[in-house]
Amino acid sequence: MPDVLVWLMKAGAIFGILLGTAAYLTLAERKVSAWIQYRYGPNRVGPWGLFQPFADLIKFIFKEEVAPAGANPLMFRLAPFLSAIPAMLTVAVIPFGPEVRIGEVATNLSIVDLDVGALYLLAFSGLAVYGPILGGWASNSKYSLLGGLRASAQMVSYELTLILCLLAVVTLSGTLDLREIVTSQAERGVWNVFVQPVAFVLFVVATFAETNRHPFDFAECEPELVGGFHTEYSAMRFALFFLGEYCAMIVMAGLTTTLFLGGFGIPFVEDPHWVLGFLAFMTKTAMFLFLFLWVRWTLPRFRFDQLMGLGWKVFLPVALVNLFLTGAVVSLLG
Amino acid sequence: MTKITINGREVDADPAQPLIRACHDHGADVPMYCYHPGLSPVGSCRICQVEVQQGDMPPRVVVACRTPVVEGMVVDTEAERAHETRRECLEFLLKNHPLDCPICDKAGECDLQDYAFAEGQGKGRSAEPRRKLEKRKSLGDVIVLDQERCILCSRCTRFMEEVPRTPQLTVSDLGSRSVIETFMDRPLTGNYQGNLADICPVGALTLKEFRFQARVWNLRKTPSTCAECSRGCAITVETLRGGEVKRFRPRPDLEVNQYWMCDTGRFALDRANLPARLPAATLRGQSGLEEADVEDAVDVLADMVGAHRASAVVLVSPFATQEEAAAVQRLAAELGAAPAFVSPPPNDLKDDVLHTGDPCPNRRGLTGLGFEALTAEDALARLADAELAVLAGERVVELVGAEGLAAVRASLRLVVLDAVPVDVPALDVALGVPTHVEKSGTWVNVDGVRRRLSLAVPPPVGVAPLEQTVERMLARLQAAEVRG
Amino acid sequence: MVVVERKELTLAERLYLPEIFRGMAITFRKLFAKRVTRQYPEEPLPTTEVTRGQPRLVVNDDGNIACVSCGLCEAACPAYAITIDGHETDRTIEREPERFDIDMLRCILCGFCEEACPKDAIFMSDELELADYTRQALVYNIERLKRPKSALQARIDYVYRLNDRWQSSSSTS
Repeated sequence: MPDVLVWLMKAGAIFGILLGTAAYLTLAERKVSAWIQYRYGPNRVGPWGLFQPFADLIKFIFKEEVAPAGANPLMFRLAPFLSAIPAMLTVAVIPFGPEVRIGEVATNLSIVDLDVGALYLLAFSGLAVYGPILGGWASNSKYSLLGGLRASAQMVSYELTLILCLLAVVTLSGTLDLREIVTSQAERGVWNVFVQPVAFVLFVVATFAETNRHPFDFAECEPELVGGFHTEYSAMRFALFFLGEYCAMIVMAGLTTTLFLGGFGIPFVEDPHWVLGFLAFMTKTAMFLFLFLWVRWTLPRFRFDQLMGLGWKVFLPVALVNLFLTGAVVSLLG
Repeated sequence: MTKITINGREVDADPAQPLIRACHDHGADVPMYCYHPGLSPVGSCRICQVEVQQGDMPPRVVVACRTPVVEGMVVDTEAERAHETRRECLEFLLKNHPLDCPICDKAGECDLQDYAFAEGQGKGRSAEPRRKLEKRKSLGDVIVLDQERCILCSRCTRFMEEVPRTPQLTVSDLGSRSVIETFMDRPLTGNYQGNLADICPVGALTLKEFRFQARVWNLRKTPSTCAECSRGCAITVETLRGGEVKRFRPRPDLEVNQYWMCDTGRFALDRANLPARLPAATLRGQSGLEEADVEDAVDVLADMVGAHRASAVVLVSPFATQEEAAAVQRLAAELGAAPAFVSPPPNDLKDDVLHTGDPCPNRRGLTGLGFEALTAEDALARLADAELAVLAGERVVELVGAEGLAAVRASLRLVVLDAVPVDVPALDVALGVPTHVEKSGTWVNVDGVRRRLSLAVPPPVGVAPLEQTVERMLARLQAAEVRG
Repeated sequence: MVVVERKELTLAERLYLPEIFRGMAITFRKLFAKRVTRQYPEEPLPTTEVTRGQPRLVVNDDGNIACVSCGLCEAACPAYAITIDGHETDRTIEREPERFDIDMLRCILCGFCEEACPKDAIFMSDELELADYTRQALVYNIERLKRPKSALQARIDYVYRLNDRWQSSSSTS
C-alpha cells in the first residue's frame, strides 16, 4: 500500500477522532455540569441525549448569521477560522499510539512524527491567539474588544510558563520529538509526572489559561463581557469558535498525557499491542478532559489582575527555577 | 311652597306632591316600590316609611308616598325606627320572592335587589316554602310575566289605567294567592306595554325582546333622543360591548315624554343595528361602484358639482340634525338651490299619549331653517328636471324611494350621502354618514323643544359626521372657484 | 473606625491547592447525587384540590350545564377574560349560556369567578397546561370548558369546606 494512502487514512481517522471527541465533549460538558448540579442534562435527543451534538450542529447550520453594523467584514469572517484551524493543526504531531502493524503495513499512529514536534505544537498553538483577538476587534463591540484583549494578554503570558515546563521535560528527555519523549519515559520506567511534579502542576494550570477555560475564561466571561470575543457571533461562526476551543482542550490534554503520563505507554507492560496503547492514551486524555470539566464547575472565576499576577509573579519564576534545576541535574548526572 | 325639615335641614317643599318627592328632591334616599312619580300613589308596599314629627305629637312612622307635605313637619328618613319598619316590610316582600337574581333580567337595576343588598339580612328566617306560581306567563307580544317575582306593588295596573288609559291588568285573588292578571288571560294590547317592564320594581314584567339578551351592567348607557316620531322622546341608548344597540329606554323629561315612550320607538333597534353600511366613500368607476378614498371622492364630487351647478336639487333626510341641515343649507346656497327635505306622509300610529304620527323627528327644526317639505313624488319630480342632485342624510334614499330613484334618468349627476348601501344607475358618488345613534346634534320636536342626540356607537371607520363631509365639499368647491 | 485584624494565612491556604482539591472532592461526590429535576411532560406536576388551575364549567349529573349565564364571573374577572351570552332554555332554570368564552391568555387564575358564582357552576380545575399555535385557539369556548361534576368534585368539596370555615369565623365576631 502506498505511503500516501496510509498517511491519508491516518489523517482521516485522527481528524475524525478529534472532531467526534470535540462534538461529544460539548455534550459531556453539559452532562457533567448537570450532574454536579443535581440535574439530568440533555436527555431528549436520542438515548441519554446522545444525539444532542447533531441536533446542535443542525441548529447552528440553520441559524441566521448576524454581523454587527461596523464590523470589519473580512476579519469578522476570518477570525473563527483562525481560532479553529490552528487548534486542529496541532493535533498532527500528537502520538496517539505505538507502531501499528496490519498485515504488511506498519506505521506510527500519528499524522507526522516531526523531530521538532514540540516546537511545531507550540508554534501553532501560539497562532490560536489570533482568533480571539481578531474576532474581538472586528466585532466593533466593546465587550468583544475587551474579551479579545484579555485573551491575548492571558495566552501570551501563560504560553511562557507552558514553554518553560515543556523545556524541562525536553531537557530531561533530550529530544523535541514527542514520540521519543514517550518512549524515553517507557525506557526510564517512570513517568515524567513523578520526575517533574512542579512542572506538571504548572503545565496543567497553564493549559487551563491557554485554552481560556475556567477558572481563567476571562476572554468569554459571561457575567462581565456577555461572551467576550464571540459576543457578536452567531450560527456556524460561533460554532467554529467553540470547535476551536474544544479542539485546543483535546490537544492540550493529549499533550499533557504525552509529556507527563507516558503517552500511549502502559506501566509494567513491555511493548503492548497497539490497540491497548491507543486505548491507554485515550483513557489518560479523557481523564484530563474530565479534569477540565470538573474544574470548570468547581472553581469560581479569578480576577483578571490575579490571573496576570499569578502568571508573571509566581508561575514564571517557579518554572524558570525548575528549568534551571532540571538543567543542572541533567548536566551533572549527564 | 311649604317649609318642612328633612333630616335636620329646612327645605321648601311642593304641597301638591307627596312627602316622598320632597325627600327625593332634597337628597334623602327613601326607597320605593309602589310609588312612581308618574303614577298616583297608593302606599301598598310600605317600604317608603319615614319618621315624621308634627307639632307637639310624638314622632311616628308614616308612609312617605301617601303623606301630604304640611308646614313645619320634621322628617327623619334615617331614624332607627324607620329603618326597622322598612326592614320588616322588606322581609315580608322577600318572603315569597324567589332567589333567581342570577337568571333575572332585572338584576342590576332592580329596586328590590338594591335595597335588599343595602338593608337585608342575607338570610331568610321563614321555614315555609315560597309560593309556586307561573314563571313564564306570556302577556301578549311584548311582555312576559313571572308571577313568583311579583311583589304586587300595582305600578303596572295603575300605569295601564292612568297613562294609556287602557286598563287591562289587575290584581286578582286574595291574600297570598294574589297575582297580576289580564282579564280572561287576554294578551295585552296597545303601544305602551314596554313601559311596564321599566316601571316594574322587580323582574316580574320583562320584555320579550330583551329577554336574556344582556346583563344590564354590561350595557353602556348614552342619553339621546328617540327618532321614531316628531315627539322626540328622551331616551337612553344602551349598547353591549361597544357595538350592538340592545335597547332604548325612556328617560324622564317632563317637557316631552314624562317617563314613558311608545313601543314603536322602543323596538326600533333595526335602524340602529344596520346589517350593511355604506363605506366612507364609493365612486362610479369602470366596473360599477368602487370604494374610494374620501379625499378623492370629495375632489371628484366638487368637480362634478362645480360643472353642473346650473340646475341642482339639494334634499336632506328628515332625520338631519340642525347642525347637518345648516351645513347642507350652505351647500344649497352655494349651488343656488332651494333646500328641501323629504317628508313622508303621517302614519296611523298617532295617539293622544306621545306618538304624533309624524315620522320626521326634526320637521320643526328643518322648516324653521327654511327647508321646504317635499313628498317623495314631488322630490322625484324635481329630480327629473335637474342636472345634479345631492341627497343627504340617514335613510334619504329609502324615503325618496329606491324604485323611484332607480327610474331617474342615468344622466342625472346623483350624489348620495346615506347610511345604508345604495345602487341606482344614476348614482355617481356615495358617501357614508352616521346613523342617529352614531352622531351628536340637535333636533327640534313637534312642540319646538330642542333636544340633543348623542353619539352612543362609534360610526364605521372613516365615516365622518355629515356636516363635516358637507363642509369639506363646500371648502373644496369654494377653493375651485377662487382658482377658476 | 474599626481596624479589622485579618487572620494570617497558613502556607496551605496561601497555596490554594488544598482548598481546590477539597472543592473538587465535593463536586465529585455530587456527580452521583440524586437528581432533583422533574421530567415535566412524563412526570406531571402534582396537584391538590388547593391548586387553582384553569377555570372549568360544571356539567351536572343530568347532563345540563350548571351555569345560568348570570354574568357575575364576567363582572368579577379582573382580567376581563370572560365573555358570556345567554339564551333561553325550556328547563326550569330558564337561562343557560349560549356562548361562554374564557380567554386563557388573559386569565390570571385568580379564582374570583369561582368565588363570585352563585350557582356553583365554575370551579378552578387542576388543569394547568396551556399551549397552542394560535391565540385564537387559546380562547376556550363552552365546549372546551365543560367538565362533568365528578371531575371537579374534590375542588367543590374543598371550596365548601373553605366557605364553612369562613362563615363560622365570621359568626363569632
